[in-house]
Amino acid sequence: MKIDRRSFLSLGVGAVAGLTLSPLPWKMMDDSSIWTQMWPWTPVPEDGEVSYVNSTCTLCPGGCGILVRKVNERAVKIEGLKGHPVNDGGICILGLSGLQLLYGPTRVKTPLKRVGKRGEGRWEKISWDKAISEVAEKLKNLRKENKPHTVGCISGSANGTLPKLIERFLTVYGSPNFMKIPSIQDSYELTLHLTQGVQALAGVDIENSDFVLSFGSGIIDGWGSPVRMFKANSALKKSGGRLVQIEPRLSNTAAKADRWIPINPGTEAALALGLAHVIVKKSLYHKDFIENYASGFYDKTGDNGFKRFVLDECGLDKISKITGVDKTVMETLAKNFAKAKKPIAISGRGQGKSPGSLNEFMAVHALNALVGNINKKGGISAVPEPDFINWPELEMDAIAAKGMQKERLDGAGSNKFPDTGSLLNRFAQSINSGETGKKYPMEVLFVAGANPCYTMPDTKTTKKAFGKIPFVVSFSPYMDETAQNADLILPNHTCLERYEDMPAPVGLTKPVICLSKPVVSPLFDTKQTGDVIIALAKALSGNISKAFVWDSYKTCLEKTLGSKWDVLVEDGIWVDNDFTAPAWENAFDTPSAKFEFYALKTDDINPVKIEGDDNSYPLVLMPYDSVRLANGFIGDPPFVVKTVSDTVLKGKDSFVEINPETAKSCGLSQGNYAVLSTPKGTAMVKINLFEGIMPGIIALPRGLGHTAYDKYLANKGLNVNDLIGPVEDSVSGLDTAWGIRAKLSKA
Amino acid sequence: MDSALIPEGVKRCPLWKFALGIIIVGVVLLWGVYAMFLCWFKGLNQTNMNDAYGFAIWIWADLAVIALGGGAFFTGFLRYIVGKDELKNIINCTIVIGFICYSSALLILAIDIGQPLRGWFIFWHANVHSMLTEVAFCLSCYFAVLTIEYLPLILENRQTDKIPFFHNLSHNLHEVMAVFAATGAFLSFFHQGSLGGVAGVLFGRPFAFREGVLIWPWTFFLFTWSAAAYGPCFSLLVTRIIEKITKKQLVKQNVIELLAKISGWMIATYIVAKIIDTWYWAAVTAPSNGFTLLDFYSGNALYGIWILVLEIVICGIVPACILITEKGRKNKLAFTTAIILGVVGVSLNRWVMVLQVMAVPVLPFESWNLYYPSWQEVATTVLPVAYGIILIMISYRYLPIFPQEKELNPIES
Amino acid sequence: MNKEHKDTKTKKFGMVIDLDLCTGCGACMVACMAENNVPFKEDESNKLDSITWMRVYKLTNGKSFPDTDICYIPRPCQHCGGIGDHGHSPCVSVCPATATDYDHETGIVSQIYTRCFGCRYCMAACPYHARYFNWWDPVWPGDMKESLSPNVSPRMRGVVEKCSFCFHRYQQAKDRAYANGRREIEENEYQTACTQACPAGAITFGDLNNPEHQVHKLVNPDPKHCGRPKNPKAFRLLERLQTNPKVYYISSREWVRRAGDNYIKNESKQIA
Ligand SMILES: Nc1nc2c(c(=O)[nH]1)N[C@H]1C(S)=C(S)[C@@H](COP(=O)(O)OP(=O)(O)OC[C@H]3O[C@@H](n4cnc5c(=O)[nH]c(N)nc54)[C@H](O)[C@@H]3O)O[C@H]1N2
Ligand SMILES: Nc1nc2c(c(=O)[nH]1)N[C@H]1C(S)=C(S)[C@@H](COP(=O)(O)OP(=O)(O)OC[C@H]3O[C@@H](n4cnc5c(=O)[nH]c(N)nc54)[C@H](O)[C@@H]3O)O[C@H]1N2
Ligand code: SF4
Ligand code: SF4
Ligand code: SF4
Ligand code: SF4
Ligand code: SF4
Ligand SMILES: [Mo]
Repeated sequence: MKIDRRSFLSLGVGAVAGLTLSPLPWKMMDDSSIWTQMWPWTPVPEDGEVSYVNSTCTLCPGGCGILVRKVNERAVKIEGLKGHPVNDGGICILGLSGLQLLYGPTRVKTPLKRVGKRGEGRWEKISWDKAISEVAEKLKNLRKENKPHTVGCISGSANGTLPKLIERFLTVYGSPNFMKIPSIQDSYELTLHLTQGVQALAGVDIENSDFVLSFGSGIIDGWGSPVRMFKANSALKKSGGRLVQIEPRLSNTAAKADRWIPINPGTEAALALGLAHVIVKKSLYHKDFIENYASGFYDKTGDNGFKRFVLDECGLDKISKITGVDKTVMETLAKNFAKAKKPIAISGRGQGKSPGSLNEFMAVHALNALVGNINKKGGISAVPEPDFINWPELEMDAIAAKGMQKERLDGAGSNKFPDTGSLLNRFAQSINSGETGKKYPMEVLFVAGANPCYTMPDTKTTKKAFGKIPFVVSFSPYMDETAQNADLILPNHTCLERYEDMPAPVGLTKPVICLSKPVVSPLFDTKQTGDVIIALAKALSGNISKAFVWDSYKTCLEKTLGSKWDVLVEDGIWVDNDFTAPAWENAFDTPSAKFEFYALKTDDINPVKIEGDDNSYPLVLMPYDSVRLANGFIGDPPFVVKTVSDTVLKGKDSFVEINPETAKSCGLSQGNYAVLSTPKGTAMVKINLFEGIMPGIIALPRGLGHTAYDKYLANKGLNVNDLIGPVEDSVSGLDTAWGIRAKLSKA
Repeated sequence: MDSALIPEGVKRCPLWKFALGIIIVGVVLLWGVYAMFLCWFKGLNQTNMNDAYGFAIWIWADLAVIALGGGAFFTGFLRYIVGKDELKNIINCTIVIGFICYSSALLILAIDIGQPLRGWFIFWHANVHSMLTEVAFCLSCYFAVLTIEYLPLILENRQTDKIPFFHNLSHNLHEVMAVFAATGAFLSFFHQGSLGGVAGVLFGRPFAFREGVLIWPWTFFLFTWSAAAYGPCFSLLVTRIIEKITKKQLVKQNVIELLAKISGWMIATYIVAKIIDTWYWAAVTAPSNGFTLLDFYSGNALYGIWILVLEIVICGIVPACILITEKGRKNKLAFTTAIILGVVGVSLNRWVMVLQVMAVPVLPFESWNLYYPSWQEVATTVLPVAYGIILIMISYRYLPIFPQEKELNPIES
Repeated sequence: MNKEHKDTKTKKFGMVIDLDLCTGCGACMVACMAENNVPFKEDESNKLDSITWMRVYKLTNGKSFPDTDICYIPRPCQHCGGIGDHGHSPCVSVCPATATDYDHETGIVSQIYTRCFGCRYCMAACPYHARYFNWWDPVWPGDMKESLSPNVSPRMRGVVEKCSFCFHRYQQAKDRAYANGRREIEENEYQTACTQACPAGAITFGDLNNPEHQVHKLVNPDPKHCGRPKNPKAFRLLERLQTNPKVYYISSREWVRRAGDNYIKNESKQIA
């Protein structure tokens, strides 16, 4: 057949028409759209049998009860556990994101040994047996050289079976150098010890108070047990109780308070004493308590009593000048605090990450004493740590005994700081200052449940100190900054994969033990740190091995908890419901058997000093805490970072909060880049104008500027710890710094 | 070489010149096509649009191009329904422009949606309450009509015309063209309006929202009116440009002036309506939602009150005055200025009704959202322009779109 | 209409958020993300392309130190009833493909991801910016897919998503009730993920039509005015636009209540 142009054309037209009318194009159109609805790269979560497991969240010291929803073996959602004494169904942003940590890319999946240079990020996988025997070998050698005291550990906490196991290990091995991450808990314990003679935790009964006087404590910014505090704040609002917040920056807590009283930072002790002045002067104090259960209020021979001091030295004019708080405001505030039925005064800035000045804690606690709200409902009570760790007595051999005689590297417990248990803030300095005097080098450092290379103020110094320690072992389940700078990583299970007790969530008014349980079986080749410690002990044999009578951490835990174990496995929490804080007659274990007002010195009303001189650094930089940013051992999972405001973090830039007036005087406006320098370092920041911050002060959030973890967190913003440094409290040795002097200039 | 395809009795530039032109524009076209594929395969993250700016430059281009293509339906309406017979001398040109504009609009829509393969859901799962549904239906139908209107033009090509079937088809199509033109005009009245409705029904956006009759907000009528008024300006402008490039007169002055005069009166009446609408909106509608006129034109770096002045006075009243007066129409400079202002005016109106609608904050605690397009957006917006130029080049070269060309430019042998 | 519907009462689910209690902690945002398989990407600091069905806004009163005040406003989808509360929500009425719909049984505005073709008209229509477009393919790196819930399908690139009032929880609650031979569910049987998580107890969720429910008691919606709250401390966002949201806010602070809507300077504080 000859195909001419015409038949070709009609054929073509016919074909097009035919194809259009056939089902083919329609079918293809439909199929292609169905394909877009099931793109193979858009996951379809597998369905299955739903179950719920309760446990405890240990991502912060809050101790919330959680209920984890599972589909088959997958954990798909974490929720707050209803009826739980700590959080009753509520949960925080971090706890909610727990599964992103469990399944996230930052997990360390097997033991890792460094192959490149420190911090270079080159690792080789190593078996557990090999890793443990390598560490054991090192430890054996050090003992052979009579240097057991050169082994140390930094732990996230000092309470609970795991920290106690580590401490026990160090003791029987022969080292006094067990250190923990500091917090206001340290200051509170010391305060209770000095004024009430007890070894106890501070229970704060905010929810039952009717007047909360907070010296900068961010009760809705993550202070204490965060979810419990949120609930307490709501309870306070509903019952008509009042919250007065004293701090230089309008934090969320200040904004939600009934009254925000801006104060010159570092002068909180002075304000507390000024309020005491009014209370004493107007005789508004609790007569019964002061007359019968307190000592040091009136003058003793040759010694100024509290009363005399506050009356003579804390006149309102003077205090007003120091604190910047108006006289009449102080007067009414004091009166109302004293007149409230259940007033409570609390201290510890922000989330309480920095222990703060002991003097300030003592002054604020004196207010609680003046109104007699100690060991009472709605007040502060001394809560003993749950007493369940009763292990067989240790037997130290000669080497260990000698090692234990050595002074600690951080100076805690020394003549200078006899009452403090751990002073991690002094540790880096002590290592860096070298082998001067009695000091000795640190040869091996364990880090468990802590990330000091990120969280300690003055990261440069901390990292330098780490550089001087030849062998650093991290137990972190995540590739955090400290793990990154370690020689060996022996990854722990995450808290959703392991058993672990958490005694005494911060601030609870009864002795409580919480228990984390494995919600899913361990995903990777990780090991509970407790088991690693036990294995190490066994490998070291002799007395060390003998001190560890358990074949695994779980049996240790089970035996240690005894009858509480079953309750804990069932409910996740054990509460000593019979506990009531002792009545005043039996409450005080001081020499006078009374509450002891401390002898004040004129210097005690002066502001807490910070680093840097006013001339080179006209501004003051303060770190602030936000619940939207975890700033401790745990790095933020993607969901949490997602909630961070674009006036805090934009791209890779951090914003510094500054009063518009101050910004103007520096020639800066919203969104400008600026160079921020402090005596500790220099960094580029962006400007965020905020009317709620006191002129002359600038603020940066804690929790940004990670260099480790995954792409969702690393290299975003600035770690404020790079720019600040600790200031030592003369009495406790703890870090009192609340800020540092700073300078901002146009970039 | 291609002389066999060129209409009889007219002169065209050498093929190499033509080919060179096509290649230059073709490169731009390919750039646009590349961007288009990026958007299809990588998704709309290739653009600078965001959750606050869900409609951006493309939708503006879409609306603008349809308004400018309005010359097609309105000239068709004038010729076939009102009976202005002279306009037959320019109608082919308006149809080509219309075809380009509407096919571009459809292409842009296919790029703009997040799930192009599901685009047909708009027909299959149609929601009769949605202005966009109305737009989609009318747009597609009118595009079909334009294709039918364009078809006889193609068939009139010297070679196709030789084939009796096509010759007859073309002839018959001409016979029924009035029906299509009428259908097209009706459809067009509607969808130009529904495009106006798209913004006008947004009662959550006080800047866009207008009261109206039944389901149609005032913007519905204003859009139709403005497209009818300004569309011819664009047809005239394109004709003017072709004339400039080919250095020939292609349409007789009386035809141009007739269309210009009609356009002028349409603009004049439109602008009166627009002023009334603006006044009512500023005085009644917006305040009832807590806004003053100036809230919409202050507090940002771009949208000042100048935009309203430019749209209404400079691009509305001024061209209307020029085009309704004989003197204005006859003065080449004034005339050209007027049609350019007209084109700018209607494009600006569409810009405001898309981009500014997105930019104005509604929640009191939000602020203005300004955006600038990514290169991919610019390239895909330029794509239809390049395509349009190419289609006009081809159509002009091979099809008798200007019936008066032969007469006005006799070839001296 | 089938029988099941006839013997259950028509519901109007809604939310009341007490801004005096809300601490701005963001738990509601994350609870929602975790419950609803909301994706995340490397940089989420551009809030204009960051998907947060629940978004907590920070407001300030604009006064200078020390009179500054802050308030947080959590904003889920408002599940607008539209003018006259007839179900013509700003977004629903414009969607050309009926990919988002108003459920007259519950008052919930649905979103069907597989139907949506991504024209974003609904986003243009929503004055609350409650709708989010999937500009990117969602990616859950490594094992993170393990944490996805089978109750809510992950969305593909190119479609719009928004808060659903955790509709899947309603379905589950109904299924459970039906399995127990009940036609009606109790107030506590259907609670949204954000309500459940809020550590401050700031969010209350329930049936606004049911006088027994907390939400009704808290705001006392006026049926004559499309549910406008009778409680003088309660307000809705952009009340004057007649979007008729089902999310109510309570604040004791006047400036906060005023910040919920637009007012012309010197305009009387009363809403007409
Ligand atoms: N003449 C006179 N002056 C006085 C006194 C007096 O008795 N007489 N008393 C003095 C004393 S004791 C005090 S404490 C002060 C009180 O003085 P102010 O601090 O001014 O206290 P209020 O007026 O009670 O509340 C201040 C504002 O807080 C708002 N508000 C309510 N809830 C919140 C919230 O959650 N967050 C925030 N940020 N704001 C909220 C209220 O709406 C109110 O507008 O006045 C002092 N001045
Ligand atoms: N509705 C409402 N209630 C509130 C507040 C509010 O804003 N609104 N604010 C709360 C706050 S912040 C506060 S501080 C309280 C204030 O409430 P109150 O504690 O009631 O304080 P005032 O009313 O200022 O003063 C109390 C009494 O002290 C007397 N007084 C004055 N000077 C002296 C003195 O030197 N000695 C003695 N013995 N008495 C003296 C006064 O005459 C008055 O009778 O109210 C709280 N309650
Ligand atoms: S407050 Fe702490 S313990 Fe409670 S959920 Fe949050 S991170 Fe977990
Ligand atoms: S979870 Fe509750 S307190 Fe936190 S931001 Fe949301 S509504 Fe406010
Ligand atoms: S808030 Fe927005 S998305 Fe939700 S119903 Fe209203 S208009 Fe629609
Ligand atoms: S984006 Fe989807 S839901 Fe929104 S209007 Fe378009 S099709 Fe409807
Ligand atoms: S109701 Fe459900 S979907 Fe809506 S914001 Fe709350 S958690 Fe998210
Ligand atoms: Mo007060």
